[in-house]
Amino acid sequence: MRRLLAILSTALLLSKLTAAALQPALPVWDDAARTELEAAGWMAGELLVWDDSPTEHAATVAELPLDIPQPTAGEIAESEEAPEKIPEKYWAEYFAERPKSFLVDPQGLLGPVDFRDRLGFLGYHSSDSVIDLYVYVFKGEQDIPGELREEELMERFFSEGRPAVVIYYYMGAPQRSVLNLSPSLTDAVTPAEQRRSLENSVMQALKDAEPAGQIASFLVQMSIRIYWMESMLGGGDSNGEQISAVVRAAKPPEKRSTTMEKFQPVFDLAKPFLIPVSVIFGLVIAAIGLCFWIRQHARYRFPDIEVEPRLGGAHAAGVGAVISFASAALPPASQRDQVPDYLRRA
Amino acid sequence: MKCPRCVQRIHRAADSCPHCGFTIADADARFGGEDVRLRRLTDSAGILRRGDRERVEAAMERISRRFPQLFVAIYTGALGEVANIRQFGFWLLNRSAFEDVAVDKPNAAGILITIDPESKAAGVVFGYLLDPFLEESDTFECLSRAHAYWLEGRYADGIIRVLSHLDGILSKRSRQARRDPEYFQRKVLPAAMMGDLVRRIRAGHQNQPSNKEITEVRK
Repeated sequence: MRRLLAILSTALLLSKLTAAALQPALPVWDDAARTELEAAGWMAGELLVWDDSPTEHAATVAELPLDIPQPTAGEIAESEEAPEKIPEKYWAEYFAERPKSFLVDPQGLLGPVDFRDRLGFLGYHSSDSVIDLYVYVFKGEQDIPGELREEELMERFFSEGRPAVVIYYYMGAPQRSVLNLSPSLTDAVTPAEQRRSLENSVMQALKDAEPAGQIASFLVQMSIRIYWMESMLGGGDSNGEQISAVVRAAKPPEKRSTTMEKFQPVFDLAKPFLIPVSVIFGLVIAAIGLCFWIRQHARYRFPDIEVEPRLGGAHAAGVGAVISFASAALPPASQRDQVPDYLRRA
Repeated sequence: MKCPRCVQRIHRAADSCPHCGFTIADADARFGGEDVRLRRLTDSAGILRRGDRERVEAAMERISRRFPQLFVAIYTGALGEVANIRQFGFWLLNRSAFEDVAVDKPNAAGILITIDPESKAAGVVFGYLLDPFLEESDTFECLSRAHAYWLEGRYADGIIRVLSHLDGILSKRSRQARRDPEYFQRKVLPAAMMGDLVRRIRAGHQNQPSNKEITEVRK
């Protein structure tokens, strides 16, 4: 048995040596080329190409003198500070009242074109959905002042009017985004659903490298998730029905206001004539009504005209029409010419 | 004006039909010479239900109220194959005494609607008071309104439609008569007076100057 193993191992070794002898030889660097490349600076795959050991290379790097200024104590303290706060001058524009626009960006973090596009999208979303989507845009490293409580803001600004989803979006850091719901939605949309919506939107945003593209992807995905929230509201659970009733109740005033705004110039133009036109219209209606009443209650008389009796009739000889209703195939129109029977065609 | 028997035109004040010689005596011979006591709404054929009667009576009352000189009577009955509905209507309006019509309203102020549900025919006859104002075509228009209802056996609805349309026509004629009463008077002028008129016109033509005389005056 041992002998057999020795034979096999010898055969294997011989076959490997034969295979190595058959392969082409590796290229060899000459020293002049190496010196030239090293003079040019860092070279990709340097450690693999040269035979020098890593430790040897690291020691060489460590020996190089560092000409970098050391951080001061103040800089170290700054770096350890909490994220940047939103400048106070923007607080009022962010948090003083319910936003008049779906996109709140007083700091101008979005470019004009992006701002217009995002606002257009949010407007379109609002026209298509019963749930509005408001977006507050902050810098990626900014933080909302600690004095402000999000729940309180939502309670103050979004407890009336259409239901709304409010997003605090951090440019370049979509993962920091915060989702808040107006009070009419908080009971209906479960926290799990809220979390899923936010995560989903963040994932979608992170697929894009550019901050502007991220917010666009984020909003599109959030709009889709709001559609699902909306479907859930109309789905039939008691809370959903309650909320959808709120939604239906809240929507008409919005529509009416837009309609009113559309016709406002006409109303303004017609306002001075409103009273005279109303008076004239009322008089015309009254006159028509009076005429109708007079007609209904009028008494009609015929003048007495002497008529000589005919055919011996003391009271009447006015023979009027006769009509047959024996068949629908004989309409009145065909009976108009009433002639003696013997004058009719057979 | 037509003869109830031969439906030929007859002239005013004709004692008998110049075409067939019909007079009321012929009708008396067929339907009876005695006066008949009737109510305004006589449903001998039994085609009107209780509720229908009330509706029809209300419509008849409305005509009487709006036209204080007039009254409307309705007779429904099977007249048989032989009877002619025109002759029967003519005879009935001359021979009937309506119990529920005021005395000051003679039959000459009446409008009689006769319906025969058996032969499925209906006719209208009116008294001398309306002779100048109503035409045969007017009564035909009224009956036409009811045709569709009577085809379906809805007699009351048909009668109400007839009376409604009759109301419109009578009020229109009344207004026309108030505006131009002479127009209606001319329609029923006696033949003798018409003869006088023709004679006067002819005489006027004779008195006019001749063309020769006119030419001489101009010269």
